[in-house]
Amino acid sequence: MERNNHRRHQVRPFSSSSTTTSSSSGAGSRGDFGALRESDWRSRRQSTASSKTQKPKPKMEAEGGEKEDGLSEIPAVIGTCPFMCPEGERAQRERLRDLAVFERLHGNPGKTSPSLAVKKFCRTISAKEGQASDIRPLPVLEETLSYLLTLLDSTNNSFEALHDFIFDRTRSIRQDLSMQNIANKKAIYMYEKMVWQVKFHVISHLKLRPHSNKSTTSSIHYLNMEQLTKALTSLYNLYDVNHEDSNSVHENEAEFRSFFVLLHLDSRNQPTGGSLALWFRRLPRSIIQSTEMCFARGVLQSFRLGNYKHFLSTIAAEASYLQYCILEPYVNQVRMFALSCINSVGYKLHPYPLARLSNILIMKESDVELLCNACGLEMCMDEAGNKLLPTKQTSFTTPKDSQCYPVLGLERFEMEY
Amino acid sequence: MAYLSMGESHRRITDYLNRFADAINYQDGDSLARLFSVSSDSPSLLSLADALNVFQDANRLIKQSEKFSQFGEVVAPFFRSLQCYRLGNLVDAYGAFEKASNAFIQEFRNWESGWALEALYVIAYEIRVLAERADRELASNGKSPEKLKGAGSFLMKVFGVLAGSCDLQGKGPKRVGALYVTCQLFKIYFKLGTVNLCRSVIRSIETARIFDFEEFPIRDKVTYMYYTGRLEVLNENFPAADQKLSYALTHCCLSKEANIRMILKYLIPVKLSIGILPKKQLLENYDLVEYNNIVEALKRGDLRLLRSALQENEDQFLRSGVYLVLEKLELQVYQRLLKKIYIIQKQKDPSKAHQVKLEVIVKALKWLEIEMDLDEVECIVAILIYKNLMKGYFAHKSKVVVLSKQDPFPKLNGKPVAS
Repeated sequence: MERNNHRRHQVRPFSSSSTTTSSSSGAGSRGDFGALRESDWRSRRQSTASSKTQKPKPKMEAEGGEKEDGLSEIPAVIGTCPFMCPEGERAQRERLRDLAVFERLHGNPGKTSPSLAVKKFCRTISAKEGQASDIRPLPVLEETLSYLLTLLDSTNNSFEALHDFIFDRTRSIRQDLSMQNIANKKAIYMYEKMVWQVKFHVISHLKLRPHSNKSTTSSIHYLNMEQLTKALTSLYNLYDVNHEDSNSVHENEAEFRSFFVLLHLDSRNQPTGGSLALWFRRLPRSIIQSTEMCFARGVLQSFRLGNYKHFLSTIAAEASYLQYCILEPYVNQVRMFALSCINSVGYKLHPYPLARLSNILIMKESDVELLCNACGLEMCMDEAGNKLLPTKQTSFTTPKDSQCYPVLGLERFEMEY
Repeated sequence: MAYLSMGESHRRITDYLNRFADAINYQDGDSLARLFSVSSDSPSLLSLADALNVFQDANRLIKQSEKFSQFGEVVAPFFRSLQCYRLGNLVDAYGAFEKASNAFIQEFRNWESGWALEALYVIAYEIRVLAERADRELASNGKSPEKLKGAGSFLMKVFGVLAGSCDLQGKGPKRVGALYVTCQLFKIYFKLGTVNLCRSVIRSIETARIFDFEEFPIRDKVTYMYYTGRLEVLNENFPAADQKLSYALTHCCLSKEANIRMILKYLIPVKLSIGILPKKQLLENYDLVEYNNIVEALKRGDLRLLRSALQENEDQFLRSGVYLVLEKLELQVYQRLLKKIYIIQKQKDPSKAHQVKLEVIVKALKWLEIEMDLDEVECIVAILIYKNLMKGYFAHKSKVVVLSKQDPFPKLNGKPVAS
């Protein structure tokens, strides 16, 4: 990569602190688009060199190979766009009135500002759009991500609109990182943040706010999982490229790797490269033996064996918040499987007590009843007034769209987040 | 290195060029093949490499005579590749070799019969092996390894050439080489972990009318079945995996012990999953002792032994990709344990044998140092029945599993456990 572009914009329209990698604040030519002085250039070169690792700069993808989001064969550039959205795009979208709700100045669909407009994800990059001036350098990307995350707390607008916006704009951030071949620790932190905050915040919103349109919810959820898997795969590449030696592991790596296992519990839903078995082959030993990965593997085995008791009790006892967010649809699936199992195998003359079901499925009794009803199962009552589930009911069906009931004991998550 | 004179270098290079031209002119496939095997470190090629590095201007020699210059496009980059290889520069060696191979393929296309297939095989092999070594060099220099991926693309092209080849009668003597190239591709994809790419070439081999599987050389068929069998294992498709790996086993030459061992390494977990246990002798003969305890655990219903065997060989099983398959054998181990309890009870009191108290199972597990509460035991019992590993029902009030009086423990009979 050649640093032949000397024109570095110093103007920061939306933040007061300058977070460029250059350490010299006075020597920089703020707002000056003329050529930098020789001394400025040298000092900047030195400071950026020291802030990176000493060995040759790790590349995220081979040149000419497929980068994330379908880019290929575009040589890495160093971005120089100082805004969250390149000026050209901003002006164009104002003209075309192509502004998201969050980008509109005072609600005006034809007006935005540098502090509101965020660069859109672009599926095909023309030579023009691949110019350095349209690509945001790392510090700008970090600030853009922070800005986007503040939006997550807003409750004004429709959740779907917010989700689509964040989804698209973070994808654009990843695209800019990829085009610049930024593959260092800072990139790792950004990806982790995107995975953590955006994906899971979104998922938990889905959980906490019931939506009337179930099909939208499930399609958002599915898209989310797909994007999540893509982002995770890029993150894993970053981890691989940044390992100093075969034993080193990034601080959050074990947990983020465990998500991959949890996303592919169902053997019908295999990762694109091949299978989960292949994926394990390449994991460093320290990851395989980490607590988080052992948890994931234990859950994987229970799921595939059909051991609903172990599956549910392990999750209730050991899952982290993020792991639980991914596992939630499986929890539902396993509970329904358990009901199906108990219904078909239990002795007809011994109806199964609701209280016990509640224990095994780790759900409130009232929720168990709702789930049974959703599966076409009826409850009965004994003389003492206890509710029971008669077995060998022939009416059992798996409902298509089933709500997931909370796991008892995990209310601690709801409170913390 | 002993001093090598210009005269001697000149002689070696011309000697090679003569052999090359003769091999082509006399359609001597075997000789031609030998001339390409860079990674074999054969003395003749190594001495040629030394000569090239001394002489430095082999291109002039090539151009000197029409006899040699007509193959210049192949030989010139090949010489470069050999020189780089000798100097330990694997990345450039690969690049030049790919160039030479490309030129070779262009010539190969025009040759009528399959006389040069042996040479093509060597080239396909070298492409893969040199790419692997080039990637190792890249990785050790902190760069992204990408040559093997490129080798895969190149071999796909070669595959296309072979598939598209036919003479005037519409038959293709070169087509029979397609399976060898396929197997090289499999090796590449397995190494890279991109096994989904195997799909398209498998589809071509198995469904295209131009290919007749029986016409391929037996050696290639065995390799092909081995890899496609492994793919079925990865997808946990056990009946298909059994069929393919068994084919590979029965058709593999008995003297190729290392190959038999590799096939067995994957066939054994498959067989175990459909309820077929290998004899101890087999495991000893082929040094597959890591499976000893697993087989023992299945025979005895010893859950603790299964778990410890898995843990002891965790690395190995994870690397070969069979760990997840072996893990699932737990259900069969539970089945065996329950069967033993049933048999013991039958000896004591046949009339009551078919009722097994859950407490007894808890106790049995405790003896195996496994703590499990009644709820989980009930769950295991429920799954065993649900998946037809046991026949009966559980009566939760009495905390008992009632087994069917007839055939309470159905055998798998070559079918995998219901999922």
